Amino acid sequence: MTDHRTILHIDMNAFFASVEQSANPELRGKPVAVVGGHGRTVITTSSYEARAKGVKTGMAIWEGKRACPELIIVVGDNRKYTYTSTKINDIFHTYTPTVEAFSIDESWLDVTHSLSIFGSAENIAYLIKARIRHLFGITCSIGVAPNKLLAKLASDMQKPDGLTVIRPENVSRILEQMPIKELCGIGKKMQRHLNMMSIYTCGELGRCDAARLTRKFGIIGTRLKEMGRGIDNVPVVSFGKEDDVKSVGHSSTLERDIDNPAEIRRFILQLSEMVGNRARRYNVSGKTIHLYVRYADFFSSWGKQTTLKNYINLSDEIYLAALGILATVELEQPVRLLGISLSNLKHQAEQLPLFEDERKKRFATQAMDRINDRFGRMSVTFGSLLPGKEKAGSHVIPPSWRPDGVKNIDVQ
Amino acid sequence: MAVVFGPGHSIKPVWFDWHNRKHAILETTYTWTDVKGSAKRLHFAVRDEGGLYQLTYDTADQIWSLEGLES
Repeated sequence: MTDHRTILHIDMNAFFASVEQSANPELRGKPVAVVGGHGRTVITTSSYEARAKGVKTGMAIWEGKRACPELIIVVGDNRKYTYTSTKINDIFHTYTPTVEAFSIDESWLDVTHSLSIFGSAENIAYLIKARIRHLFGITCSIGVAPNKLLAKLASDMQKPDGLTVIRPENVSRILEQMPIKELCGIGKKMQRHLNMMSIYTCGELGRCDAARLTRKFGIIGTRLKEMGRGIDNVPVVSFGKEDDVKSVGHSSTLERDIDNPAEIRRFILQLSEMVGNRARRYNVSGKTIHLYVRYADFFSSWGKQTTLKNYINLSDEIYLAALGILATVELEQPVRLLGISLSNLKHQAEQLPLFEDERKKRFATQAMDRINDRFGRMSVTFGSLLPGKEKAGSHVIPPSWRPDGVKNIDVQ
Repeated sequence: MAVVFGPGHSIKPVWFDWHNRKHAILETTYTWTDVKGSAKRLHFAVRDEGGLYQLTYDTADQIWSLEGLES
C-alpha cells in the first residue's frame, strides 16, 4: 500500500436530526431529539442545539427532557434516512469509485486517483459539501488525510460543517498531544488499560515499546503502536468488494416484556421469517443458528448456538433450530429482546430437493417470497403472524446497514 | 392534487385539495423515495400557509395520499 494516498472521511452532522430539521422548517435552530417509533425507545440522535443543553444519544426521553425542557421529540423516519444516505453515497461515487460506507452517516473515499481530474482533495471536499447542502439542506464534516485512521480523526476535529486537512508532514505534531480516545478503535476499555500503562496521548502510544504493548495486548500491540504514530495501511474497500458476509441476522426489542412461551415462539417465528427471507433473497444458506435473548432487567442476557448437518435458509427450519436452542434453557425472567442469526454461510446455487414434500415446500416458499417482493414484506406470511398482533421488526437502523447488498436491511 | 412533471423525471407538487379546501404549496422542504414490494413511492414534505404535510405518490397504482400533517 502506498504512503501517498489521499483519503476523505465524511461524517454527516447529527444526521437524523438534521434531516428532520431540513424537512420541517419549524424545527430549524431548535433543540430536537429523534427517537424510534417503538414504544420503548431512546434518543437515537439530537440536534446541535439539543446537544448544547446536555442531551445525549442513548438517553431515555424523560432524561432528555430533564436536561432540556424545551426539547422537541420527533419520531424518526428510517426510510427517509436510508434514502438520503444512499443518495449521498451516490454523490461520493461521482468523485471516485472507491467509497466505503462505514455506517449510515459516515463514509471513506479514496480520491488518490481523482486528484488529477478535480484538482485537490479540498476542492472535492468543498464540492461534496455544496452538493449535499444544495440537495438536502444538511451539513457534513470532512477530514482529509493520508489514511483512514487520520481522515476519521480529522473529520472529528471540526464539527459541525468542518473541513480539516492533516498533511503527512504534520502528522506527528498533531498526534503528539492528541488524547488516545480520539483514535477510532480505542474505546473506553482500551483507554483504561493504556492509561494504566501511563499512556495518555497518541505521542506516548507511538513511542511505547512494541514488545511491551504486545505483552499486554497480544497481536494488536503492534497495531496500537502504529496507530499512535498515525500509520494505517487498511485500504478503503468499496461496495461489492468487502469480504463475504459472515452472517444474516435480525433482532428486535419487544413492545413489552413477555414471558408467555407461545408469544415468545411467535416472535421467534417472525424473526426466523425475516432472516430466512433475506438469506433466500441473497442466495445464501447457513449451518449455524444463533439465538440471543436479553431479559427484562436489560443487563442479563444469553446467546446460544447450534450447528446443523445441513445448510438451511427456509424460515421454518430456522425456526425449529431456534426453538431447539430455546428448549435447552430455562428462562429466568420475562424477555425484552430476541435475536436470531444464521452463520457458517455458503453461497448456493438453487438445488431442487429430491423428495416431493420438500419440493412442494420449496415451491411454496418461493411463491411466498415472490409475492412479498412484489407487494411488500409480510404481505403473505404464516397464519400465526397475521395482523392484529404485535410485531417485531427493524425499527432501528443497525450499525451494519449499508446502501447496497445483503446488509441493505429494509427498515421500518 | 396538481403537480408539474418537469424534465429529468422531476415532480413538483403545486396544490392539493383536502377537506374541500385547496392548499397551495409554498415550498417542498424534502423529498425521498422508498419501495413497498415492487412499487416505488415518492414522498414529499410540503408546506402551505398553515402547516407541513407529507404527500406520497405510489407509482404503481398512481395514487396520491396524505400520509401526515403537522400544523
